[in-house]
Amino acid sequence: MAVMHEMLSNNAFATMNRLEKGEEGVVYAVPDVRLLASLGIRSGKRVRVLAKSFASGPVIVDIERRSVVVDRSLAAQITIRK
Amino acid sequence: MSCATTKSRDTKHKKILLMGLPNVGKSAIFSRFTGMHVMVSNYTGTTVEFTEGKMAVGDDTYTLIDVPGVYDIKQSVDDAERVAVSMLEEKPDAIVFVVDALNVESSVYLLMQVLEYKLPTVVALNRVDLLKVRSMRIDHRVIQAALNVPVVPTIALGGDSLDLVKERLARDLASPDAPHYVLEENELKRWDWVERITARALKPLSDNATIRQDRFAFLIRPWPGLPIAIGVLFLMFAAVIGIGMGLRQFLIMPLFEGIRIGEHTVGLFPWIRAGVEALGITGTFQRVLVGEYGFLIKGIEWPFGLVLPYVLSFYLSMSILEDTGYLPRLAVLLDGVFKKIGLPGNTIIPLLLGYGCGIPAILSTRSMRSRKQRVAVAVMISLAVPCVAQSSAFMFLLVEHSLLALVLVFMISVFAMVLAGFVMDRIKREPMPLTLTELPEMLAPNPALVGKKLLFRVRHYVKDGAIPMVIAIVVTAFLYEFGILDVAGRAMAPVVSGWLRLPEEAATPLIIGIVRRELAVLPLIDMNLSTVQLFTGAVVALFYVPCVAMIATLAKEFNAKVAVGTLLFTTTTAIVIGGLMARLGGLLATWLG
Ligand SMILES: Nc1nc2c(ncn2[C@@H]2O[C@H](COP(=O)(O)OP(=O)(O)OP(=O)(O)O)[C@@H](O)[C@H]2O)c(=O)[nH]1
Ligand SMILES: [Mg+2]
Repeated sequence: MAVMHEMLSNNAFATMNRLEKGEEGVVYAVPDVRLLASLGIRSGKRVRVLAKSFASGPVIVDIERRSVVVDRSLAAQITIRK
Repeated sequence: MSCATTKSRDTKHKKILLMGLPNVGKSAIFSRFTGMHVMVSNYTGTTVEFTEGKMAVGDDTYTLIDVPGVYDIKQSVDDAERVAVSMLEEKPDAIVFVVDALNVESSVYLLMQVLEYKLPTVVALNRVDLLKVRSMRIDHRVIQAALNVPVVPTIALGGDSLDLVKERLARDLASPDAPHYVLEENELKRWDWVERITARALKPLSDNATIRQDRFAFLIRPWPGLPIAIGVLFLMFAAVIGIGMGLRQFLIMPLFEGIRIGEHTVGLFPWIRAGVEALGITGTFQRVLVGEYGFLIKGIEWPFGLVLPYVLSFYLSMSILEDTGYLPRLAVLLDGVFKKIGLPGNTIIPLLLGYGCGIPAILSTRSMRSRKQRVAVAVMISLAVPCVAQSSAFMFLLVEHSLLALVLVFMISVFAMVLAGFVMDRIKREPMPLTLTELPEMLAPNPALVGKKLLFRVRHYVKDGAIPMVIAIVVTAFLYEFGILDVAGRAMAPVVSGWLRLPEEAATPLIIGIVRRELAVLPLIDMNLSTVQLFTGAVVALFYVPCVAMIATLAKEFNAKVAVGTLLFTTTTAIVIGGLMARLGGLLATWLG
């Protein structure tokens, strides 16, 4: 947990919900949700934020031309290396 | 528009199962192979149950089974996916696995899970035509060699590429050897392995081809996505009403009511009336045939003159919208708002379908991830979403008297829906499943496909909508002429006249409205009601019993408790709100002078 905290205070890392529209990064760590892997959200994959929906709606990211819709609260558990 | 949900299984023939990720063309392939129509739409979760059909392979007949798409055999997330996995567990005789050319990586991962079952498998590498859009091409032999499984590139929508799949099947089914597939056994390394295969198989069309980013991202951004969404929904609404009214006024009604040619009126109804007269039928029987509820007139006018035009215009618009891939984008856009009442954004799809018919709408909730949400959406639809038949009845009833009343009815419908969702969310709180899905490619609607879908839905309407409506009208015609409706009207007078302030005869729509939603509205037309009474009647009908077929669907999909509960809830709401509206409307009318 401490490591995680340190990483996030470091500017090179951010959780997916913190990325702005148009920002890019590489997936670094993902929570244990099986469907994420099938949707292409696995560590090492390059993602770009296509849109962030309003009213705390989901984050939509592009992964190798797939548009994947991720719940805001789940995006908060995905670490991205910028 | 009911669909058979409990199906008898074919046990005579050998089985071939169609499997793959969602939205890859399984149902499109099924339609081509069997000649049967199943829904094909551009979003995940189109298919929510299995469908069996006959298919000839070589000299033998097989049963082909279409199932919902899945992402991961080891973890199905909803009722629809579980259907697919249980079909696989039953060990079919062969599998046609559909790999999506636009999504090779996840397809191949799932394929490996399926190959673990060691059943004869042929891979259809489908939608290869769409790779052009991405300036990519694919070498199917890479996948074939890597997994030792036959791979056939296909385009499900046209051409004869699917014939090759059949040929391969025929060959594989003839050979008795157990198939041997190459599989990376280590689960953790599987994704790496799959990524490498994918990278080898997919190539850019030319060296300098740039991979285009999603051109349609603007649709899912609040700006300009939201105004566009409002525009699209408004356009759909306008198209449904405009096309429906046009068809009715300029095509169908002239055919029915007749057009004057010289001194003669040429048309269906004049002929029918003349025919009944010529046969010398008089008295009660004449009235049963061509009188107040005369079924030769109403039985044709209501289902075909009144409702059919809007069935056509609604399903035309809906089929086009479904094929573009816009609906899941609308769902994403609205996800945050829907979450406020404890529902996911893709609730919008069943709700929109509900404006056509509630039954397919309730079935489509099977792709939702929580049972509580499924029930909530089903209740919302039963309570407050008027089906296309009822909406056309509202339109006919109110449009000439008061446009305001018409608009109000639809606004009350939306308001009640939101309120019901909100209340149900508060009654039983539970953690909400996370939104996690992918958006389909935006595609231009294929006119042939849209045409087929429209035809299929219209046929469904005639069979499951119009025919029950005609039967109900025939029965009503007899009940009316033999004075039974009068007796019932007097018995129900305290509610109908006392509380709802409608004439006694308005008991009729409440009685026959149990059978079908629009029949709770249509009899009001000829009663010379005041605007307030028309409005009250419409509101009662809106919330009233959601038709017997829907109650049956609720019982089948959930249980008797949900069905009876919904029945009591909707009926009570209808009567209570109706009475309030009668008083409120009365006040408003005096106030407005
Ligand atoms: N261009 C193109 N489009 C295709 C092809 N096959 C299917 N489609 C389209 O892809 C979309 C999905 O097709 P479906 O047959 O509904 O897919 P499915 O696999 O049954 O989907 P689910 O039932 O949701 O699992 C539809 O919009 C089809 O028109 C193809 O070969 N080429
Ligand atoms: Mg399907």
